Amino acid sequence: MTKREGLEVSIAVADAAMLSDVDVVSAYPITPQTHIVEHLAELVANGELKAAYIPVESEHSAMSACLGASAIGARTFTATASQGLELMHEVLYVASAMRFPIVMAVANRALSAPISIWGDHSDVMATRDVGWIQIFVENGQEAVDNVICAFRMGEDKRVLLPVMIHLDGFVLTHVIEPIELPDKKDVDRFLPPFKYPLPLDPEKPVTMGAFGQPFIYTEVKWAQEINLEKSKDVILEVWQEFGKAFGRQYSPIEQYQTDGAKVLLLTMGSYSETAMVAVDKMRNDGKEVGLLKLRLWRPFPYEELRESIKSAEILIVLDRAISFGGPGGPVCSEVKAALYGGEKQPKVVGFVGGLGGRDITMSGFEEMINRGIEIARTGSKREFEIYGVRE
Amino acid sequence: MATAVHGPGIITELEPFTPGHRACSGCAEALAVRLAAKAIGNNAIIVNATGCMEVVASPFPYTSWRIPWIHTLFENAAAVASGVEAGLKSMEKKGKTPERNIKVVALAGDGGTSDIGLQALSGALERGHDFVYICLDNEAYMNTGIQRSSATPYGASTTTSPAGKESLGQITWKKNMPAIAVAHDIPYVATACPSYHRDLMKKVAKAVATPGPAYVHILSACPTGWRCPTDDAIKIGRLAVKTGTFPLYEVENGQYKLNLNLTKLEPVGNYLKMQGRFRHLTEDTIKEIQERVTQEYNKLVALASKSGEKASPE
Amino acid sequence: MTKSKLTEIRWHGRGGQGAVTSAELVAQAAIGEGKYAQAFPSFSPERRGAPVMAFNRINPDEPIRTRAEVDQPDVVLIMDPNLLSILDATSGLKEGGTVIINTKKSVEQVRKDFGISARLALVDANTIAQETLGVLIVNTTMIGAMIKATGVISSESIKEPFEKRFGRLAERNIKALERAVEETKIGEWLEMAKAKTKEKPGTKGELSWKEIEIGCFITKPGNSVEIKTGDWKSRRPEFDFDKCNKCTLCYFFCPEGCIAKTKDGYFEADLFYCKGCGICATECPKDAITMVEEAK
Ligand SMILES: Cc1ncc(C[n+]2csc(CCOP(=O)(O)OP(=O)(O)O)c2C)c(N)n1
Ligand code: SF4
Ligand code: SF4
Ligand code: SF4
Ligand SMILES: [Mg+2]
Repeated sequence: MTKREGLEVSIAVADAAMLSDVDVVSAYPITPQTHIVEHLAELVANGELKAAYIPVESEHSAMSACLGASAIGARTFTATASQGLELMHEVLYVASAMRFPIVMAVANRALSAPISIWGDHSDVMATRDVGWIQIFVENGQEAVDNVICAFRMGEDKRVLLPVMIHLDGFVLTHVIEPIELPDKKDVDRFLPPFKYPLPLDPEKPVTMGAFGQPFIYTEVKWAQEINLEKSKDVILEVWQEFGKAFGRQYSPIEQYQTDGAKVLLLTMGSYSETAMVAVDKMRNDGKEVGLLKLRLWRPFPYEELRESIKSAEILIVLDRAISFGGPGGPVCSEVKAALYGGEKQPKVVGFVGGLGGRDITMSGFEEMINRGIEIARTGSKREFEIYGVRE
Repeated sequence: MATAVHGPGIITELEPFTPGHRACSGCAEALAVRLAAKAIGNNAIIVNATGCMEVVASPFPYTSWRIPWIHTLFENAAAVASGVEAGLKSMEKKGKTPERNIKVVALAGDGGTSDIGLQALSGALERGHDFVYICLDNEAYMNTGIQRSSATPYGASTTTSPAGKESLGQITWKKNMPAIAVAHDIPYVATACPSYHRDLMKKVAKAVATPGPAYVHILSACPTGWRCPTDDAIKIGRLAVKTGTFPLYEVENGQYKLNLNLTKLEPVGNYLKMQGRFRHLTEDTIKEIQERVTQEYNKLVALASKSGEKASPE
Repeated sequence: MTKSKLTEIRWHGRGGQGAVTSAELVAQAAIGEGKYAQAFPSFSPERRGAPVMAFNRINPDEPIRTRAEVDQPDVVLIMDPNLLSILDATSGLKEGGTVIINTKKSVEQVRKDFGISARLALVDANTIAQETLGVLIVNTTMIGAMIKATGVISSESIKEPFEKRFGRLAERNIKALERAVEETKIGEWLEMAKAKTKEKPGTKGELSWKEIEIGCFITKPGNSVEIKTGDWKSRRPEFDFDKCNKCTLCYFFCPEGCIAKTKDGYFEADLFYCKGCGICATECPKDAITMVEEAK
């Protein structure tokens, strides 16, 4: 029987890893991820979770130890944020290229300097090209469900890729809210044991990480790209199976109040929830406004995006990171690229906001949407605008 | 098992590190790896840092390793090995795989160990993983073209510590990596050199058999970077030991033991003069190096004498 | 003979032999003459002793734009005679192109032994280098042979780059070069010579992206035993069993692990892998091993 409890989201994420029967946890503490790894350490110490907990001396080593554990066929979990994710950077590429299905929760946080422990998506965006499957969640339940799904997605023989679950620092990680933790037996039924096809094993030796000369590197990278693109089918399949088993359904782009909406706002992560409230209000006021929530960040859901903007005239994209000196927020520029040349194209307006933990309130969203509509009609002097900056 | 490899006249056909590798002709680092692999045996997983030995052993689609081997990055061999070891232990404990006592051995160059990988190594030693870390010390970053490392000896000319009108080459003394390993209070630390092949294999086998972390520091001549003829690597290694430049010793549970009872050290100049990287040194500098070598060697003798164990005569 | 203004040169040497330096010096000489020139190595991780390549492009009046490796050379230089048995010197050679070889052999002999009907320029660079420089470094001698065979740069213009590079040793290197200019023998292009495919020597590019193992892993343990590193050597060890006391030292000290016990308990090298380092000969306590020139 599933139990609905008031749980801190970080605790629930750690519990989800435990329910997934991870064999190795290797992690280094950083705010706002700390509660996740502390709870995992506690679960191991109590004997509730049978796993090796490696208290490494850095995030670079955290991810490196994950490589080693995954390479011998252990189910491996870690969590990090911000500077920790950046310190891992080069290791992240190795994890995906070597096809190790490590699952990592990222408690999204701003990047230094100035040092900020509060949330935004700068850390995610700096690692968007690392070859991992990347999923955004917007509340504790989604975080729990997607951690469990992540193992099944990543470990599928057709996929074999690491997965990041992005959850916003503090506003998600540190909030206590009602969460249903699935029953262990149900998780066991949903998530088959991990069998890595080519583990490091003296009985069947393999060489991993050989030197790739120009005659082979392109082929290797292309195989990797096709594999990540194709993983979307499995991701959809797993979400569907999860829906059947647990009654909660996920999809790459979720739509809210989009019927007949001429103006769409696209957000990711926890801000989507506040945005929903804003959309409700504007609908009440008679405005044809709807919301798109981008859940699957990698592989990018091209078809779903194109499908979901069909009736819209204006698409406003809120980024929580700046691509400095570039065309705007990274999500907005990808959305523009995805729609470019399509039959029906809405005007795309980019905003950057919510940096370093700056809140965007319900009325803030309303204000942003209204300004977005104005820009779409009259234009802006800039490629993108920033929301909420003091002049 | 590994023990078969010691004892005069005995050889073992076991070659987990195969011919066909692409190390330079006369490379003693490749020899060190070959000998260590013989002592490690087949029931092992090797974690290799980026560096000469990784590059020469794995030009896709070829590998010189007959046993499982993984290379990921330059500075993380100890961390990857931690994961391998913890993973194996966890899987065995949970009954997901049978108990097989698989050995985990990390290999890294002096750069991968004493510079960029020092933090990861320190972490792994301190956490007490059951693994062996072998530092393959050729005293510079050879893979990228002979740049200095913190293990490069005083006076050596490298491409980033070049000798010149205003410079005598490397101006710092070699970092004492074995002492750093010892400071982690691990059960076994040893130095070795392929010129003393049986000693090397014995130590690697001992390290492998030691529960908990073990550290073996192997000095191996690199004819390309040390600028010497390709047939000189063994001779030079022997001189490194006999001059006291690189003494062979073990530290078991903190107790130092010198392995060779050198009644008299050979003059360090004999060692330096065989190598082009020291060609520019003046007699004064050689004297300075001699003093330092003698002083360091005496420190070691003092440490060893505390343990009361006798070194075997050479 | 087609005559394009652009001359493309491919150097074949062994790591450490100075192919890259040769190419650099040639480019500097050409630039000194006011021409446009390039020199670059084949960017590879190859170690001392392994076959390596370097390239030149020289154009008297136009800037050179292409940066790809030279796959259809006008001139090929073979710095080590033993390389001829392991690579195809004429691969991609343009019609009328020249192959310059460091060899003691005559034109007829080279044509017969290696079936090369292209234009040949032969020089005994080993002897010249040994006699003039006192060491077996043939790169400057080979430049001399190239000057003689192609005239793409002049003996005069190479002097300055030599002086910059070699300092007080420049003079001797110039002497070696001048001797090579004198002694190089030319054998003209034979009509039966056909330019060959432009496949790049030394790659293994047949795998499609679909055939690569997950993670680019290698599942054939120890398959480097297929690699004939014996091609790298210029000297090989000869074992005299009469002197051998079966001490096993050579077996243990060989970095290649290519010395094995014979059924009578003696030791012998597998020349398929032996790189000719000479360690076994130097370390043998009984002088039972001698290094001999791998003369071809
Ligand atoms: C993070 C990072 N920095 C730099 C490099 C480049 N690099 C590769 S190997 C190497 C030097 C290796 O030196 P060492 O560890 O002493 O091994 P050796 O090649 O001498 O055996 C360097 C600098 C790298 N691969 N990764
Ligand atoms: S550069 Fe030195 S260490 Fe590297 S392969 Fe060559 S001889 Fe060995
Ligand atoms: S010369 Fe001797 S030691 Fe060197 S590779 Fe050949 S057999 Fe081995
Ligand atoms: S080193 Fe010399 S004496 Fe010893 S086994 Fe080899 S050939 Fe025989
Ligand atoms: Mg080194």
